Amino acid sequence: MTETERRFQRQAEWQKSRRFLPWPEKIRLAEQMRPAIEAFRPQRDARRRSGSTAASAEHEGSAPPPVRRR
Amino acid sequence: MSPPRDLRNIAGVRDVALLLNDMRASGVVSDYALFGAAAQMRYTEPVATLDADVLVAVPAPDRLDVLGPIYAFCRARGYDEEGESVRVGAWPVQFVPVFSSLTLDALHAAETADFEGVPFRVVGAPHLAVIALSVGRAKDFARVLALLESGAVTREAIGRLAGAHGLSEAWDRFTRRFLDDRD
Repeated sequence: MTETERRFQRQAEWQKSRRFLPWPEKIRLAEQMRPAIEAFRPQRDARRRSGSTAASAEHEGSAPPPVRRR
Repeated sequence: MSPPRDLRNIAGVRDVALLLNDMRASGVVSDYALFGAAAQMRYTEPVATLDADVLVAVPAPDRLDVLGPIYAFCRARGYDEEGESVRVGAWPVQFVPVFSSLTLDALHAAETADFEGVPFRVVGAPHLAVIALSVGRAKDFARVLALLESGAVTREAIGRLAGAHGLSEAWDRFTRRFLDDRD
């Protein structure tokens, strides 16, 4: 195993170990990720508008299509 | 009385739980349960998400403005609408009325978790996985895989629940695509 592979492995193990954090702590970590997501969002939206398939179907939240107020 | 604006700005998921519990106690919703990425994080590593998705059962599901009373309740507590969500501090909360037998079942089977001392109704792992399966985007498939990998749910449990809600074919496709060649 190369040093690079070992690094990836350590990274993966660290990432997986975070599942054992308390739920509120994980929620706080997600809150900290938000500015990064929001920074990327305009770029993603622009790609979608231009029809790029690279933007695929990713967007935040897992809800089905929202119910609009009528 | 509305909370002061500076407090609203730092409010987090605990405040979402308090708001939803009040909403249920006052009868604006018959029941609620958090689902989506925020609920997934009970079981898996943290994931990126911008909003909190909440399944709700309402006393009058046939009214034209089905979410109207929910928005009015939030507004009266100082939480304003923002697009199709209600902003509670850092979290846009998206209310989704139950829309299928699966989501109704998910609501009935929801667990009461503890979030920093506040009871919080949350959809359990099997229903989270099958709802994700039914939505079927790439990120939803990733959610199913993450829940499986965390050990929060088994393939058999997902298969049973998927079958009970007419999603056997979707589950078979998922297993062929993502699981069969990994064993």
